[in-house]
Amino acid sequence: MAAGETIGGCVLEKAAEVEKEYGSLQAFKSGPEDAIEDFEDDLEGCVEAPSPILPEIDEIIWGSAAFAILFAFMAWKGFPAVRRAMDARSEKIQADLDAADAAKADAMSTKSQYEEQLAEAKTAAAAIIDEARMQADQLRTDLQARAEADIAEQRARATADIESSRHQAIDDLRGDVASIAVGAAERVVGASLDAEVHRSLIDSYIEEVAGSRDNG
Amino acid sequence: MADHLAAESIGDYADAVLAVARAEKASGQVEAELARFAEALRTNPELQSTLADSAINVERRIAICEDLLSGKAHRATTAVTSMVIAAGRGGELAEVIDAVIDRAAAGRNRRAARVRSAVELSEDQRARLASAIQASSGLEVEIHAVVDPSVMGGIITEIGDDVIDGSVRSRLQQMRSGFG
Repeated sequence: MAAGETIGGCVLEKAAEVEKEYGSLQAFKSGPEDAIEDFEDDLEGCVEAPSPILPEIDEIIWGSAAFAILFAFMAWKGFPAVRRAMDARSEKIQADLDAADAAKADAMSTKSQYEEQLAEAKTAAAAIIDEARMQADQLRTDLQARAEADIAEQRARATADIESSRHQAIDDLRGDVASIAVGAAERVVGASLDAEVHRSLIDSYIEEVAGSRDNG
Repeated sequence: MADHLAAESIGDYADAVLAVARAEKASGQVEAELARFAEALRTNPELQSTLADSAINVERRIAICEDLLSGKAHRATTAVTSMVIAAGRGGELAEVIDAVIDRAAAGRNRRAARVRSAVELSEDQRARLASAIQASSGLEVEIHAVVDPSVMGGIITEIGDDVIDGSVRSRLQQMRSGFG
């Protein structure tokens, strides 16, 4: 059986050949013994499967021709186009890789700059913090010194006020005592100043004035 | 208030007052009345400030002065005090009167002794006091005595800038100072 032919088709084809040769299948059955054996061999040939590996010769020829034509066409048109596309693709990929490398380099440079700026910022921040801490310490020291000075001044002022108040109280008391004593003396003297005492005081004064020449 | 008079200007006012008193031939009376008026001014600061107050109309101040002296003093005394007040020198009236007394005494080759006592001095006491001052200082003085109850007792004598204080008041003040 040829490749691509069905078993039924092959049997019908052999039967048709026999019928054509003998007029009918009944006539064939009554024909020669060896013709029937040949017919049976042909039928067995229809039942035999074609080779799964080796195709028919004509298929090999046509297939090889088609392959050659297709190969030639591809070698002439397809392969260069594919190669150009691949080259373009490769160039594009290489360009993208180069751009990626450049971008990576830029990124690394930017990262370095950022890291440098960050380090500078950290340094500046540390310096500012140190300066602020020093100023805070100085301010605290100044405030403490000022507070202590104020306290000392207030204490001195309070002491001075107390001392002044004490002196004032003593002076007031002394003044009160003097006023009481002098007031009492004035009342005693005033009560005792009659005409005779006035005359005596005036005479004594005149004698003292007159006698001051001898003394002076 | 007007500016304070210089000593020379006060002397000029005193000379004018003395001229009026001499013209009226009442020098002694005018001097004695002015001395009492000056003492009244010193013992009455309210009266002195009223006579010196320029915010009060000068006619009003002269009227006050005339009311005080009218009928009690020579018209020359009233006239000269009114003249000083009218000149805007009421604040220096006591100083002018002191200058009048000093210059009047000086005109008689004497010094004026302003004497204050709690009671009025008798003529004998005045004479003895003048003799005592002359005996002690060699100065011939005229006694211008006024009664000042604040003296309390004894006498205070002022001759120019010299003060001889023998008053009970000063003794009490010394006693008060002794407590300090």
